[in-house]
Amino acid sequence: MPIQIDTSVKGKEYAPFTVTVERGKIKEFARAIGDLSPFYLDDAVGRASEWGDIIAPPTFAITFRDEHADTNVVLRDLGVDIGRILHGEQEFEHYRPIRPGETYLCRTRVSDIYEKSGRSGPMAFVVREMTVTDGDNEVVCLVRSITVVRL
Amino acid sequence: MRYAKIYVDDLQPGDAMPALVKPPIQQIQLTRYAGASGDFNPIHQDDAFAKAAGMGGVFAHGMLSMGFVAQAVTDWLGTGRVHRLSVRFAALVRLGDVITCRGKVLEKRPSKNDGDHAVDLELWAENQKGEKVVTGRATVILPSRE
Repeated sequence: MPIQIDTSVKGKEYAPFTVTVERGKIKEFARAIGDLSPFYLDDAVGRASEWGDIIAPPTFAITFRDEHADTNVVLRDLGVDIGRILHGEQEFEHYRPIRPGETYLCRTRVSDIYEKSGRSGPMAFVVREMTVTDGDNEVVCLVRSITVVRL
Repeated sequence: MRYAKIYVDDLQPGDAMPALVKPPIQQIQLTRYAGASGDFNPIHQDDAFAKAAGMGGVFAHGMLSMGFVAQAVTDWLGTGRVHRLSVRFAALVRLGDVITCRGKVLEKRPSKNDGDHAVDLELWAENQKGEKVVTGRATVILPSRE
């Protein structure tokens, strides 16, 4: 029997949250990928660069989450066990590099939920969009994620 | 050449991105990526959990493979220049898999910023059997020589 998910979550906006980017987290993230670019890891190279500091790799914004919310709050709202999800698609749109020490405001909403039948049975696709803005309310980055739920 | 400064003039549609071959996926890398990214889904750490979930065993975070693809682009065209990066996760990456990231230039076009150009890339990552595990696109902003 396929499980039912709560499709009323479509359109839901989550409480905005802030993140302050830590220098060590950028380096830890780059090293975990095995990307040893000095523009991520070497403070002196960063200082001498056009950005005046190290910057974060293109996928770093995936780490931005609300520390005060339950982990996997979206899954809880959908009524889905973590063992049923797969990462379907991911997109980042950057307007300038993410730098250490900066504080960003993140707003997340579930923009769409749709169901399809795949090779391995019925699946739901949950589309989330996060807008990351800086202190001047300028958009730094847009993050779009599609989570696949095996129903 | 890694981290060299590249200009839009240096690229033509059809040009191949230098392949990036990553070391075989090991459990320790998935644990490390979990800590660095904050994604502690046990399906990437706990083989018994992953089997019980019907996945046949642990598999890598899709975001790790996307990180590899991003690295291939920035190794080639420089850091801080990726405007857009989008991928679809086409197949699971398992322990021991060797991931190779590849790509090519689709087109060059003027960007909204004066003097800069946007370069669109087609990207993919494949495992040691040649199966595509990630497919995607990127748009990179590059200066021109003049």
